[in-house]
Amino acid sequence: MDQGIKSRPRYQPLALDATGWRHLVITDQAELPGLAFAVPPDGAELWHIAAPRAAPRAAPPGAGSSGSAFATTGDMLTALAARLACEHAGFRLYAAGTEAFIWDAEAIARDTGMGAGEFFMCQAGSWQRRIYCTHCQTMTDAVTTSIVPCAGCGAHLFVRDHFSRRLRAFMGVRIDSEVHGDVPPAETFYP
Amino acid sequence: MIHSDPIAARVASCESLHPGLRRVVLVPESGGLFPAGSAGAHIRLALRHGDHLWRNAYSVVSPPNCRDSYTIIVRRVANSRGGSAYIHDHLKPGDTVMVDLPVNLFPIATIARKHLMLAGGIGVTPFLSYLPILADNKVKFELHVCCRGDDVAVFTALLAAWPDAHVHPDDGSPALDIGAVLGGQFLGTHLSMCGPEPFMAQITATAAAIGWPAARIHQEFFTGATSGTAFRAVLAQSGITIDVPADQGLLDALEAAGIDAPYMCRGGACGQCYLPVLEGIPEHRDHFLTADQRAANTAIMPCVSRAKSATLVLDI
Repeated sequence: MDQGIKSRPRYQPLALDATGWRHLVITDQAELPGLAFAVPPDGAELWHIAAPRAAPRAAPPGAGSSGSAFATTGDMLTALAARLACEHAGFRLYAAGTEAFIWDAEAIARDTGMGAGEFFMCQAGSWQRRIYCTHCQTMTDAVTTSIVPCAGCGAHLFVRDHFSRRLRAFMGVRIDSEVHGDVPPAETFYP
Repeated sequence: MIHSDPIAARVASCESLHPGLRRVVLVPESGGLFPAGSAGAHIRLALRHGDHLWRNAYSVVSPPNCRDSYTIIVRRVANSRGGSAYIHDHLKPGDTVMVDLPVNLFPIATIARKHLMLAGGIGVTPFLSYLPILADNKVKFELHVCCRGDDVAVFTALLAAWPDAHVHPDDGSPALDIGAVLGGQFLGTHLSMCGPEPFMAQITATAAAIGWPAARIHQEFFTGATSGTAFRAVLAQSGITIDVPADQGLLDALEAAGIDAPYMCRGGACGQCYLPVLEGIPEHRDHFLTADQRAANTAIMPCVSRAKSATLVLDI
């Protein structure tokens, strides 16, 4: 459903920036999503989420890639902040994954002082959203439906396409403000 | 863009730092305070000597919050339009000059986690107003000044209070390993530079080669040399014809002929003096027009640019 809102981010497939010398690709997926990169990032370092032990992970694309596997995205983002603090000019960061993850990475990159031309984002995997409740300011993560109960105040929030780059989340606005309890059934819009 | 009438200022003092460098302190002629500038700002002086009128831009080197005076440092430029020679040879305490409001085309990039400032010679002047602000804001910085001759002692003395400012004498060998200085910077460091064009071109090329992103580079150009080949300017709206001699810029020639042409930075940067070109081929020397606009040859920035053709017809 297109709500006609311009703030909704648009993403392009990634391509390694030839002006950089060192490339780090991070993803919240178990494997680098096939569609994330227009060209496989040969020679780049890849950080991904460790696959369950039972299922051996396929080799990431790019024959020359080195990589690290993290148990959780939180671990990865903590490591990212430490890594960026000791990186120098010529470094390029690419984040591929769900919007909540790539915008968390964006916050860390911005905080380090990285700017345009050094950091690239690509949505991959689920289109699930992080929703900011405009009433109680609580974030509700992994929202796939058109209407969701707020994790903070419990209000039924309509999930808007309005994306705040400051809050790094989509806005959720109470849907039954006019007639309390008048909540239409939720549909899965963001699988 | 704000453009207001000039303010009358009185020369409070003139001091030779060395034979080619003069420090001038200006105070408001009517008393009171000057308008506040910001770090990196320049002022433009209208200097009159006989029939000559120069409008020269100089970085304000006094702290931006200092409003009782503006201090500038002027280098005597050989073969210049003559404004700097006038300041060195004739300007004296008590003289009145007209000053335009401070304009800033080189503000501090406040999002920087650290500032790396590289200056070539007199290009140190805009950074002199940066230093107290960066110190007040407790932002990390590193200033490198490459200079030669008498400048070395003067700039060393000017920067003595700042341990993070380094003066590199250029005695023929490379004064500063730019690649090493750039390559050693953490992410979030912004590069600001001011100096002669070859100096900045070398830094820009080195930065590009190590992958320093353009978004973290800031630069201030000197007011370019405006001399070149003589040509004729025809003003279509008034039918006036002006011969622009080899040693005079187009904007200066327009003003000398009594034309009230728009201007602000006089360095080819701000775009205020944009004039449509009806006929002729401009010799573009500005930093404002895009590559497409230059190729179209339908506009010129007369503050720095001249003509490749013998005649230029301007829509003014």
